[in-house]
Amino acid sequence: MTNELIDRLSAELEPTPERALEKRLWLALSIGLVGTILIGPLVLDVLVGRPFGGAWGNSMFWGKLAYTIGLGTLGLIAVPALSRPDQYRIWPLLLAGALAVLALIVGTLGWMRSDWAMSVLMGGTALVCPWLIIVTAAPLLAVLLGMMRRFAPASPTMAGLAAGLLAGGFGAAAYAFYCGETSMMFMATWYSLGIALTALLGAIIGRYLLRW
Amino acid sequence: MQADATEKRMRELMLAALDGDAAAYRRLLAELTRYLRPWFAKRLSPSHASHAEDLVQETLLALHTKRSTYDRSRPFTAWLHAVAHHKFVDHVRRHAIRPTVHLDDDAPIFAFDDSAHAADRRDVDAVLTEVPERTADLIRQTRIEGASIAEAAARHGISETAAKVSIHRGLKSLMNRFAGGSK
Repeated sequence: MTNELIDRLSAELEPTPERALEKRLWLALSIGLVGTILIGPLVLDVLVGRPFGGAWGNSMFWGKLAYTIGLGTLGLIAVPALSRPDQYRIWPLLLAGALAVLALIVGTLGWMRSDWAMSVLMGGTALVCPWLIIVTAAPLLAVLLGMMRRFAPASPTMAGLAAGLLAGGFGAAAYAFYCGETSMMFMATWYSLGIALTALLGAIIGRYLLRW
Repeated sequence: MQADATEKRMRELMLAALDGDAAAYRRLLAELTRYLRPWFAKRLSPSHASHAEDLVQETLLALHTKRSTYDRSRPFTAWLHAVAHHKFVDHVRRHAIRPTVHLDDDAPIFAFDDSAHAADRRDVDAVLTEVPERTADLIRQTRIEGASIAEAAARHGISETAAKVSIHRGLKSLMNRFAGGSK
Protein backbone atom coordinates (compact mmCIF):
# COMPACT_ATOMS: atom_id res chain seq x y z
CA MET A 1 0.00 0.00 0.00
CA THR A 2 2.53 2.55 1.17
CA ASN A 3 5.03 1.25 -1.37
CA GLU A 4 2.50 1.73 -4.17
CA LEU A 5 1.96 5.29 -2.97
CA ILE A 6 5.72 5.90 -3.01
CA ASP A 7 5.92 4.51 -6.55
CA ARG A 8 3.07 6.73 -7.69
CA LEU A 9 4.39 9.89 -6.03
CA SER A 10 7.93 9.48 -7.33
CA ALA A 11 6.60 8.80 -10.83
CA GLU A 12 4.57 12.02 -10.63
CA LEU A 13 7.45 14.13 -9.36
CA GLU A 14 8.02 17.40 -11.15
CA PRO A 15 10.74 19.92 -10.32
CA THR A 16 9.74 22.67 -7.91
CA PRO A 17 11.31 26.07 -8.62
CA GLU A 18 13.17 27.88 -5.86
CA ARG A 19 11.04 30.25 -3.78
CA ALA A 20 7.96 28.68 -5.38
CA LEU A 21 5.64 29.95 -2.64
CA GLU A 22 6.70 33.58 -3.08
CA LYS A 23 6.42 33.34 -6.86
CA ARG A 24 2.87 32.02 -6.58
CA LEU A 25 2.00 34.80 -4.17
CA TRP A 26 3.29 37.45 -6.59
CA LEU A 27 1.32 35.88 -9.43
CA ALA A 28 -1.89 35.87 -7.38
CA LEU A 29 -1.25 39.46 -6.28
CA SER A 30 -0.80 40.65 -9.88
CA ILE A 31 -3.94 38.91 -11.16
CA GLY A 32 -6.01 39.91 -8.14
CA LEU A 33 -4.92 43.54 -8.32
CA VAL A 34 -6.15 43.77 -11.92
CA GLY A 35 -9.58 42.62 -10.74
CA THR A 36 -9.57 45.02 -7.81
CA ILE A 37 -8.53 47.97 -9.97
CA LEU A 38 -11.28 47.12 -12.48
CA ILE A 39 -13.88 47.40 -9.69
CA GLY A 40 -13.15 51.16 -9.77
CA PRO A 41 -14.49 52.06 -13.23
CA LEU A 42 -16.96 49.15 -13.45
CA VAL A 43 -18.63 49.32 -10.05
CA LEU A 44 -17.63 52.45 -8.14
CA ASP A 45 -17.95 54.82 -11.12
CA VAL A 46 -20.82 53.32 -13.12
CA LEU A 47 -22.96 51.67 -10.42
CA VAL A 48 -22.24 53.85 -7.38
CA GLY A 49 -21.63 57.07 -9.30
CA ARG A 50 -18.23 57.97 -7.90
CA PRO A 51 -15.97 59.74 -10.40
CA PHE A 52 -12.27 58.85 -10.49
CA GLY A 53 -10.07 61.18 -8.43
CA GLY A 54 -12.65 62.43 -5.95
CA ALA A 55 -10.02 63.81 -3.59
CA TRP A 56 -7.28 64.80 -6.03
CA GLY A 57 -5.07 67.59 -4.82
CA ASN A 58 -6.00 67.10 -1.18
CA SER A 59 -3.10 66.11 1.06
CA MET A 60 -5.35 63.56 2.76
CA PHE A 61 -5.52 61.62 -0.50
CA TRP A 62 -1.83 60.82 -0.11
CA GLY A 63 -2.36 60.06 3.56
CA LYS A 64 -5.04 57.53 2.67
CA LEU A 65 -2.82 56.01 0.01
CA ALA A 66 0.13 55.70 2.39
CA TYR A 67 -2.00 54.24 5.20
CA THR A 68 -3.79 51.65 3.07
CA ILE A 69 -0.71 50.58 1.11
CA GLY A 70 1.18 50.36 4.41
CA LEU A 71 -1.43 47.96 5.82
CA GLY A 72 -1.53 46.02 2.56
CA THR A 73 2.26 45.67 2.58
CA LEU A 74 2.18 44.32 6.14
CA GLY A 75 -0.38 41.79 4.87
CA LEU A 76 1.96 40.95 2.01
CA ILE A 77 4.73 40.25 4.53
CA ALA A 78 2.36 38.30 6.78
CA VAL A 79 1.08 35.88 4.11
CA PRO A 80 4.34 34.00 3.43
CA ALA A 81 5.22 34.21 7.13
CA LEU A 82 2.01 32.29 7.93
CA SER A 83 1.72 29.98 4.92
CA ARG A 84 4.22 27.29 5.90
CA PRO A 85 3.70 24.43 8.34
CA ASP A 86 6.90 25.17 10.25
CA GLN A 87 6.55 28.94 10.52
CA TYR A 88 4.14 31.05 12.50
CA ARG A 89 5.21 34.67 12.63
CA ILE A 90 2.46 37.13 13.46
CA TRP A 91 4.49 40.27 14.01
CA PRO A 92 3.32 41.84 10.70
CA LEU A 93 -0.28 41.46 11.90
CA LEU A 94 0.55 42.98 15.27
CA LEU A 95 2.31 45.84 13.52
CA ALA A 96 -0.79 46.41 11.36
CA GLY A 97 -2.90 46.60 14.50
CA ALA A 98 -0.49 49.11 16.04
CA LEU A 99 -0.59 51.21 12.85
CA ALA A 100 -4.39 51.32 12.99
CA VAL A 101 -4.32 52.38 16.63
CA LEU A 102 -1.80 55.10 15.79
CA ALA A 103 -4.04 56.38 12.97
CA LEU A 104 -7.01 56.45 15.34
CA ILE A 105 -5.03 58.47 17.91
CA VAL A 106 -3.87 61.01 15.34
CA GLY A 107 -7.40 61.15 13.88
CA THR A 108 -8.95 61.70 17.28
CA LEU A 109 -6.55 64.58 17.98
CA GLY A 110 -7.60 66.21 14.69
CA TRP A 111 -11.25 65.62 15.48
CA MET A 112 -10.74 67.22 18.90
CA ARG A 113 -9.21 70.33 17.27
CA SER A 114 -12.28 70.62 15.04
CA ASP A 115 -14.39 70.61 18.23
CA TRP A 116 -15.83 67.11 17.70
CA ALA A 117 -17.80 68.16 14.65
CA MET A 118 -19.88 65.19 13.50
CA SER A 119 -19.08 65.90 9.86
CA VAL A 120 -15.37 65.27 10.49
CA LEU A 121 -16.09 61.76 11.72
CA MET A 122 -18.91 60.84 9.37
CA GLY A 123 -18.10 62.81 6.21
CA GLY A 124 -20.73 62.08 3.58
CA THR A 125 -20.08 58.41 2.93
CA ALA A 126 -19.25 56.81 6.30
CA LEU A 127 -21.94 54.16 6.12
CA VAL A 128 -21.06 52.90 2.66
CA CYS A 129 -17.28 53.28 2.85
CA PRO A 130 -16.45 49.99 4.68
CA TRP A 131 -18.76 47.98 2.42
CA LEU A 132 -17.36 49.47 -0.76
CA ILE A 133 -13.85 48.69 0.45
CA ILE A 134 -14.85 45.04 0.91
CA VAL A 135 -16.36 44.99 -2.60
CA THR A 136 -13.23 46.55 -4.07
CA ALA A 137 -10.99 44.10 -2.21
CA ALA A 138 -13.09 41.03 -3.06
CA PRO A 139 -11.45 40.05 -6.39
CA LEU A 140 -7.97 40.24 -4.87
CA LEU A 141 -9.05 38.28 -1.80
CA ALA A 142 -10.65 35.58 -3.94
CA VAL A 143 -7.56 35.10 -6.12
CA LEU A 144 -5.26 35.11 -3.09
CA LEU A 145 -7.26 32.54 -1.14
CA GLY A 146 -7.59 30.39 -4.26
CA MET A 147 -3.82 30.35 -4.73
CA MET A 148 -3.19 29.82 -1.03
CA ARG A 149 -5.00 26.49 -1.13
CA ARG A 150 -1.69 25.15 -2.44
CA PHE A 151 0.08 26.37 0.68
CA ALA A 152 0.23 24.57 4.01
CA PRO A 153 -0.36 27.12 6.78
CA ALA A 154 0.25 26.12 10.38
CA SER A 155 -2.99 28.01 11.12
CA PRO A 156 -5.46 28.33 8.21
CA THR A 157 -7.38 31.02 10.11
CA MET A 158 -4.34 33.24 10.59
CA ALA A 159 -3.22 32.73 7.00
CA GLY A 160 -6.71 33.79 5.87
CA LEU A 161 -6.51 36.83 8.13
CA ALA A 162 -3.19 37.81 6.55
CA ALA A 163 -4.68 37.41 3.06
CA GLY A 164 -7.63 39.56 4.14
CA LEU A 165 -5.32 42.29 5.42
CA LEU A 166 -3.36 42.21 2.16
CA ALA A 167 -6.52 42.37 0.03
CA GLY A 168 -8.20 44.90 2.32
CA GLY A 169 -5.20 47.24 2.32
CA PHE A 170 -4.70 47.27 -1.44
CA GLY A 171 -8.47 47.24 -2.02
CA ALA A 172 -8.84 50.34 0.15
CA ALA A 173 -5.96 51.97 -1.75
CA ALA A 174 -7.82 51.38 -5.02
CA TYR A 175 -11.02 52.68 -3.42
CA ALA A 176 -9.25 55.85 -2.25
CA PHE A 177 -9.12 57.05 -5.89
CA TYR A 178 -12.92 57.21 -5.88
CA CYS A 179 -13.39 58.67 -2.41
CA GLY A 180 -13.82 62.40 -1.74
CA GLU A 181 -13.42 62.33 2.03
CA THR A 182 -10.65 64.54 3.39
CA SER A 183 -10.53 64.01 7.16
CA MET A 184 -7.98 61.94 9.04
CA MET A 185 -10.58 60.76 11.53
CA PHE A 186 -12.78 59.52 8.70
CA MET A 187 -9.93 57.46 7.27
CA ALA A 188 -8.78 56.14 10.65
CA THR A 189 -12.30 54.96 11.46
CA TRP A 190 -13.99 53.85 8.26
CA TYR A 191 -11.05 52.76 6.15
CA SER A 192 -9.70 50.80 9.11
CA LEU A 193 -13.12 49.23 9.61
CA GLY A 194 -13.36 48.25 5.93
CA ILE A 195 -9.89 46.70 5.98
CA ALA A 196 -10.57 44.95 9.30
CA LEU A 197 -13.83 43.48 7.95
CA THR A 198 -12.00 42.24 4.85
CA ALA A 199 -9.37 40.65 7.09
CA LEU A 200 -12.11 39.06 9.19
CA LEU A 201 -13.76 37.72 6.05
CA GLY A 202 -10.42 36.28 4.97
CA ALA A 203 -9.98 34.61 8.37
CA ILE A 204 -13.46 33.04 8.26
CA ILE A 205 -13.06 31.75 4.70
CA GLY A 206 -9.46 30.72 5.33
CA ARG A 207 -10.45 28.65 8.34
CA TYR A 208 -12.32 26.29 6.02
CA LEU A 209 -10.76 26.83 2.60
CA LEU A 210 -7.11 26.68 3.63
CA ARG A 211 -7.38 23.48 5.66
CA TRP A 212 -5.02 20.77 4.49
CA MET B 1 25.28 13.91 16.47
CA GLN B 2 23.14 11.30 14.80
CA ALA B 3 20.23 13.74 14.37
CA ASP B 4 22.44 16.14 12.41
CA ALA B 5 23.56 13.36 10.11
CA THR B 6 19.90 12.45 9.54
CA GLU B 7 19.04 16.07 8.82
CA LYS B 8 21.93 16.40 6.40
CA ARG B 9 21.06 13.22 4.51
CA MET B 10 17.31 13.92 4.38
CA ARG B 11 17.80 17.52 3.35
CA GLU B 12 20.12 16.53 0.51
CA LEU B 13 17.54 14.01 -0.71
CA MET B 14 14.77 16.61 -0.45
CA LEU B 15 16.74 19.25 -2.35
CA ALA B 16 17.52 16.72 -5.08
CA ALA B 17 13.84 15.74 -5.18
CA LEU B 18 12.77 19.39 -5.50
CA ASP B 19 15.07 19.61 -8.51
CA GLY B 20 13.24 16.65 -10.06
CA ASP B 21 15.45 13.68 -9.05
CA ALA B 22 12.88 10.87 -8.83
CA ALA B 23 15.35 8.30 -7.47
CA ALA B 24 16.33 10.56 -4.57
CA TYR B 25 12.65 11.28 -3.97
CA ARG B 26 11.81 7.59 -3.80
CA ARG B 27 14.63 7.02 -1.32
CA LEU B 28 13.49 9.96 0.78
CA LEU B 29 9.90 8.70 0.95
CA ALA B 30 11.00 5.15 1.76
CA GLU B 31 13.31 6.36 4.53
CA LEU B 32 10.69 8.68 5.98
CA THR B 33 8.23 5.79 6.13
CA ARG B 34 10.60 3.98 8.47
CA TYR B 35 10.71 6.93 10.84
CA LEU B 36 7.06 7.93 10.60
CA ARG B 37 5.50 4.53 11.22
CA PRO B 38 6.84 4.07 14.78
CA TRP B 39 6.34 7.77 15.53
CA PHE B 40 2.64 7.60 14.72
CA ALA B 41 2.21 4.15 16.27
CA LYS B 42 3.56 5.44 19.57
CA ARG B 43 1.00 8.24 19.51
CA LEU B 44 -2.01 5.99 18.95
CA SER B 45 -3.59 3.61 21.43
CA PRO B 46 -3.22 -0.09 20.49
CA SER B 47 -6.86 -0.19 19.32
CA HIS B 48 -6.04 2.47 16.72
CA ALA B 49 -2.67 1.07 15.71
CA SER B 50 -4.03 0.39 12.23
CA HIS B 51 -4.35 4.15 11.71
CA ALA B 52 -0.57 4.53 11.74
CA GLU B 53 -0.27 3.32 8.16
CA ASP B 54 -3.00 5.77 7.02
CA LEU B 55 -1.17 8.57 8.76
CA VAL B 56 2.13 7.64 7.12
CA GLN B 57 0.41 7.79 3.75
CA GLU B 58 -1.36 11.06 4.51
CA THR B 59 1.96 12.56 5.54
CA LEU B 60 3.76 11.37 2.39
CA LEU B 61 0.89 12.73 0.30
CA ALA B 62 1.05 16.08 2.11
CA LEU B 63 4.81 16.20 1.60
CA HIS B 64 4.15 15.67 -2.10
CA THR B 65 1.38 18.23 -2.63
CA LYS B 66 2.82 20.83 -0.22
CA ARG B 67 6.51 20.47 -1.08
CA SER B 68 6.60 24.00 -2.48
CA THR B 69 6.11 25.32 1.07
CA TYR B 70 9.48 23.88 2.13
CA ASP B 71 11.90 26.79 2.44
CA ARG B 72 15.22 25.45 1.12
CA SER B 73 17.23 27.51 3.58
CA ARG B 74 15.60 25.90 6.62
CA PRO B 75 15.97 22.45 8.25
CA PHE B 76 14.05 19.76 6.41
CA THR B 77 13.39 17.59 9.46
CA ALA B 78 11.68 20.52 11.21
CA TRP B 79 9.43 21.08 8.20
CA LEU B 80 8.59 17.40 7.92
CA HIS B 81 7.93 17.23 11.64
CA ALA B 82 5.46 20.13 11.35
CA VAL B 83 3.69 18.40 8.46
CA ALA B 84 3.45 15.08 10.33
CA HIS B 85 2.30 16.80 13.51
CA HIS B 86 -0.37 18.72 11.58
CA LYS B 87 -1.58 15.50 9.94
CA PHE B 88 -1.68 13.72 13.27
CA VAL B 89 -3.67 16.45 15.03
CA ASP B 90 -6.04 16.68 12.08
CA HIS B 91 -6.52 12.90 11.96
CA VAL B 92 -7.11 12.63 15.69
CA ARG B 93 -9.71 15.40 15.59
CA ARG B 94 -11.51 13.98 12.57
CA HIS B 95 -11.71 10.49 14.01
CA ALA B 96 -12.27 11.60 17.60
CA ILE B 97 -9.41 9.36 18.72
CA ARG B 98 -7.92 9.61 22.17
CA PRO B 99 -4.17 9.88 21.59
CA THR B 100 -1.77 8.05 23.91
CA VAL B 101 0.65 10.95 23.90
CA HIS B 102 -0.44 14.49 24.55
CA LEU B 103 -0.97 16.50 21.35
CA ASP B 104 1.58 19.07 22.42
CA ASP B 105 4.27 16.47 23.05
CA ASP B 106 6.65 17.14 20.23
CA ALA B 107 9.09 14.27 20.57
CA PRO B 108 11.27 14.40 17.46
CA ILE B 109 10.34 12.06 14.62
CA PHE B 110 13.93 11.32 13.80
CA ALA B 111 14.84 9.93 17.21
CA PHE B 112 13.67 6.40 16.31
CA ASP B 113 13.60 4.33 13.20
CA ASP B 114 12.19 0.84 12.86
CA SER B 115 14.76 -0.54 10.44
CA ALA B 116 15.44 -3.65 12.54
CA HIS B 117 16.83 -1.57 15.39
CA ALA B 118 19.98 -0.18 13.89
CA ALA B 119 21.51 0.64 17.28
CA ASP B 120 20.99 -2.90 18.59
CA ARG B 121 22.61 -4.26 15.48
CA ARG B 122 25.66 -2.10 16.05
CA ASP B 123 25.94 -3.39 19.63
CA VAL B 124 25.77 -6.99 18.44
CA ASP B 125 28.51 -6.34 15.90
CA ALA B 126 30.70 -4.83 18.59
CA VAL B 127 30.17 -7.76 20.93
CA LEU B 128 30.86 -10.34 18.26
CA THR B 129 34.34 -8.95 17.59
CA GLU B 130 35.30 -10.63 20.88
CA VAL B 131 35.11 -14.16 19.39
CA PRO B 132 36.88 -15.66 16.34
CA GLU B 133 35.51 -14.49 13.03
CA ARG B 134 34.07 -17.82 11.96
CA THR B 135 32.34 -18.29 15.30
CA ALA B 136 30.92 -14.77 15.06
CA ASP B 137 29.56 -15.53 11.59
CA LEU B 138 27.96 -18.75 12.78
CA ILE B 139 26.32 -17.03 15.73
CA ARG B 140 25.04 -14.19 13.56
CA GLN B 141 23.62 -16.54 10.97
CA THR B 142 21.92 -18.94 13.35
CA ARG B 143 20.84 -16.70 16.19
CA ILE B 144 20.03 -13.42 14.39
CA GLU B 145 19.37 -14.09 10.74
CA GLY B 146 17.45 -17.25 11.46
CA ALA B 147 19.47 -19.80 9.48
CA SER B 148 19.50 -23.41 10.68
CA ILE B 149 22.69 -24.89 12.08
CA ALA B 150 22.93 -27.21 9.08
CA GLU B 151 22.76 -24.25 6.65
CA ALA B 152 25.35 -22.25 8.56
CA ALA B 153 27.67 -25.24 8.79
CA ALA B 154 27.35 -25.87 5.05
CA ARG B 155 28.22 -22.24 4.29
CA HIS B 156 31.47 -22.59 6.19
CA GLY B 157 32.23 -26.09 4.94
CA ILE B 158 32.33 -27.69 8.39
CA SER B 159 30.28 -30.45 9.96
CA GLU B 160 27.07 -29.71 11.82
CA THR B 161 28.60 -30.96 15.07
CA ALA B 162 31.62 -28.69 14.68
CA ALA B 163 29.29 -25.74 14.06
CA LYS B 164 27.23 -26.57 17.16
CA VAL B 165 30.36 -26.79 19.31
CA SER B 166 31.75 -23.59 17.88
CA ILE B 167 28.52 -21.67 18.52
CA HIS B 168 28.22 -23.06 22.01
CA ARG B 169 31.81 -22.12 22.90
CA GLY B 170 31.45 -18.70 21.38
CA LEU B 171 28.27 -17.92 23.30
CA LYS B 172 29.81 -19.26 26.50
CA SER B 173 32.85 -17.04 26.18
CA LEU B 174 30.62 -14.02 25.46
CA MET B 175 28.55 -14.83 28.56
CA ASN B 176 31.71 -14.93 30.63
CA ARG B 177 32.91 -11.71 29.14
CA PHE B 178 29.68 -9.65 29.26
CA ALA B 179 27.15 -11.27 31.57
CA GLY B 180 29.42 -12.22 34.44
CA GLY B 181 29.40 -15.94 33.65
CA SER B 182 26.69 -18.34 32.46
CA LYS B 183 24.45 -20.10 34.95
